[in-house]
Amino acid sequence: MKNNFKDLATNFVLKYGVIVALLILIVVFSLTTRAFFTVDNLFDILRAVSILTIVAIGVTFSVVVNGMDVSVGAVTGLAVILSTALMVIWQIPWYWVIIICLLAGAGIGLFNSLLIMRLRIPDLLATLGTLYLVQGLQMWITKGDAVYRGMTNPWSPIREVTKGFIPKQFLVLGQGFVFKTESFRGIPVPVIVMLFVAVIAWFFLDFTRYGRAFYAVGGNMEAARLAGIPVRKYRTIAYMISALLATLGGLVLASRIGSGAVKAGDPYLLDAVASTYFGFAVLGLRKPNVWGTFLGAVFVGVMLNGLTMLNVPWYIQDFIKGLVLVSALGISFAIKKESR
Amino acid sequence: MKMAVLRGEKLSKKFPGVVALDDVDIQIESGKVHALVGANGAGKSTLVKILTGYYESYEGEISIDGKKIVLRDPREAFQNGIEVVHQEVDTQLVPTLTVAENLYLESFNGGEFGTVISSRKLKRKAEADLNRIGFPLPVSMKVEDLSLHEKQQLVIARALIHNVKFLILDEPTSSLSLLEAQKLFDLVSNLKQRGVGILYISQRLDEIPIVADHITVLRNGKKVAYFDQVPELSQIVEAMLDVPQGNLFPEKKESTPSEVVMKVENLAWKDKVRQVSFEVRKGEILAITGLTGAGKTETLKLLFGAYQPEGGKISIDGVPVKIKDPTKAIEKGVYLVPEERRREGLILNKSARENMTMPFMKDFCRFLGRIIKTVEIKHTSEIAKRVHLMPLDVERQAQYFSGGNQQKIVVGRWLGGNPKVLLLDEPTQGVDVGAKREIYKLVTEISKNCAVVFATSDINEAIGIGDRILVMRDGKVMAEFTSQNADAKEILSYAAGVKS
Repeated sequence: MKNNFKDLATNFVLKYGVIVALLILIVVFSLTTRAFFTVDNLFDILRAVSILTIVAIGVTFSVVVNGMDVSVGAVTGLAVILSTALMVIWQIPWYWVIIICLLAGAGIGLFNSLLIMRLRIPDLLATLGTLYLVQGLQMWITKGDAVYRGMTNPWSPIREVTKGFIPKQFLVLGQGFVFKTESFRGIPVPVIVMLFVAVIAWFFLDFTRYGRAFYAVGGNMEAARLAGIPVRKYRTIAYMISALLATLGGLVLASRIGSGAVKAGDPYLLDAVASTYFGFAVLGLRKPNVWGTFLGAVFVGVMLNGLTMLNVPWYIQDFIKGLVLVSALGISFAIKKESR
Repeated sequence: MKMAVLRGEKLSKKFPGVVALDDVDIQIESGKVHALVGANGAGKSTLVKILTGYYESYEGEISIDGKKIVLRDPREAFQNGIEVVHQEVDTQLVPTLTVAENLYLESFNGGEFGTVISSRKLKRKAEADLNRIGFPLPVSMKVEDLSLHEKQQLVIARALIHNVKFLILDEPTSSLSLLEAQKLFDLVSNLKQRGVGILYISQRLDEIPIVADHITVLRNGKKVAYFDQVPELSQIVEAMLDVPQGNLFPEKKESTPSEVVMKVENLAWKDKVRQVSFEVRKGEILAITGLTGAGKTETLKLLFGAYQPEGGKISIDGVPVKIKDPTKAIEKGVYLVPEERRREGLILNKSARENMTMPFMKDFCRFLGRIIKTVEIKHTSEIAKRVHLMPLDVERQAQYFSGGNQQKIVVGRWLGGNPKVLLLDEPTQGVDVGAKREIYKLVTEISKNCAVVFATSDINEAIGIGDRILVMRDGKVMAEFTSQNADAKEILSYAAGVKS
């Protein structure tokens, strides 16, 4: 009986530990701060983590096939500069810009998979190389300048003032709201984009044969190959999805800030990797999974939002983030799941 | 060097449910080569592990020159002058370090070379030591750039520098080319002259007269024969042969096999598969037997597209085909049950159900590739019943099944398809007798509607299950038998190189 209780408790901690911790955080923050527990603040938090979640779901795909993509932050940053520069400096219509950026993203994903599969460079090193290449490209596009309305054209010999601007239609992606009512501000568009990405990725990974194949490749590459799964193809697609979602995150980010800051994507790399591994702990699955990644990102967002409201100094926040990640992973990996 | 005798008496090693080694006596004398022969699973490697201190406990007594010693730790074996050259010699070397560094690997921790190691000093010492023992090895070369024979030489040289008294060579020629094997034999006679006592483990009987002074034959963990001098090889063959276990195998089918399904002509791959040709018919089980490393696994992997042939032709139903990967092979109805089920067959942390439907997920899918789980569960439950999966729980993770039941999952996987040619690579390895019988029955049943190629190093199994039996050695087909004229002694003679 006693043992049973212990098992149950262990199982509960494993499965719902992170969710419970999240709820506790929310309750504590709403008790101590007035503004926390409001619908608007809820959507603010979700909006704040939306870009991170999109990028992190991309990283999740690379981890599902037992790989790693550390170039995502640079790719996000490239999308920011490339999209804004195309619109401001070269005055290309926003819909073409989105298509060009997504194509560039897919190309980078393909490049990564070529490095990893053709040249057999270990994934971490290959994508690290790509990180620098893409970051360099990002700076090169504007010769290191940030992109904003009325900037001088770095490529023009007489440095004339640019005439382009970022149109409203593009800004909707990061700043818009939908389902507005008199009393309700509306749901931020980035949140919709994020949920859209999460639901599709979830369906894809958990309910289709393609998802099954992705996990099979990650679980045992040789066994998957000998069961007829085209391993190369799946790994290639995983890296392409990773780069594409990083690009999408970058487009939302560009739209959100309304200008092109240099290296704007950098912070997303570590947070995205952390969210993915945090997702291992959520639900006690101990494997990369979409909702785990999502909750991981939300958890980080809630924590930072709450801590800020509690006036915890910014310089302590990273430390707390690390503490929570280490303890979540510790709990999930240290307690060995009983064999069924 | 002083004469010395290493003697093991009544050595036994028991594992839960198995006696791996049973009351075996063995004696290694300075300057003599004692050959230890036996089939797979005869207990050779168990004996090696006892003598090298791999096990913390064993039964029996070991002595050197009458003085009792205990070997419960590799270090104790080392201190008593016993060293081994493993079959997988790479496990004994650090590939990224140089020859010189590998020579003194053990000393680095002890501080013989100090804390700051001068590579010049190291190199000079290595050169001097190698000169003294007469081994011309390139001291500055990285070990990963050496050939297999050079690696063996390096490990032997290291043992000599340590003043080894008793050297165990564990199937040293199994991956060597003929020329390299010849060099190894020269090396062995050189070691003999130096007074090293050698235990030489091999399955290849053709090299026994070249190297051995005495011979011990193991079978099923027991010592079944000892020869003070090299006898007629047929005597060794007879001793090695296991008594066939009765009624493990289903009755052979009466019907004559019908049309040829797969035809293989002059298949070639590296030096592992050489000009292999055969055909296999619908309703027939073709057994391929031979020692480990004879090229059976490689042949099957070539047929399955897991390796790419360097020459030769494969036809299915009379049409020449190019099988560029396993996906293609499966499309054509060629299925493989690989040798290492844990590494190549299963995704261990996935359920039996997911492992079983992996190649044919399409069959359970609707719009956008969504898997209809209820259909999938129904299908896998039926297969699980058919293969007698125990426990009958398809949601259980593959890693929690016993070896035999894991194999049933891998075999069962292919029942979901429409096999034309089923390739099985050592499907009963590490499987208990009950599961063995079930696998034989299942394979015989499947073979009614397709062609089966069954690779096994167990000769009795090959005779028991096969309608025809091919014997391979060194990548070549040496002989072919039918189940009527198959004779275990003949087959082993071909496999072990007594006959060719």
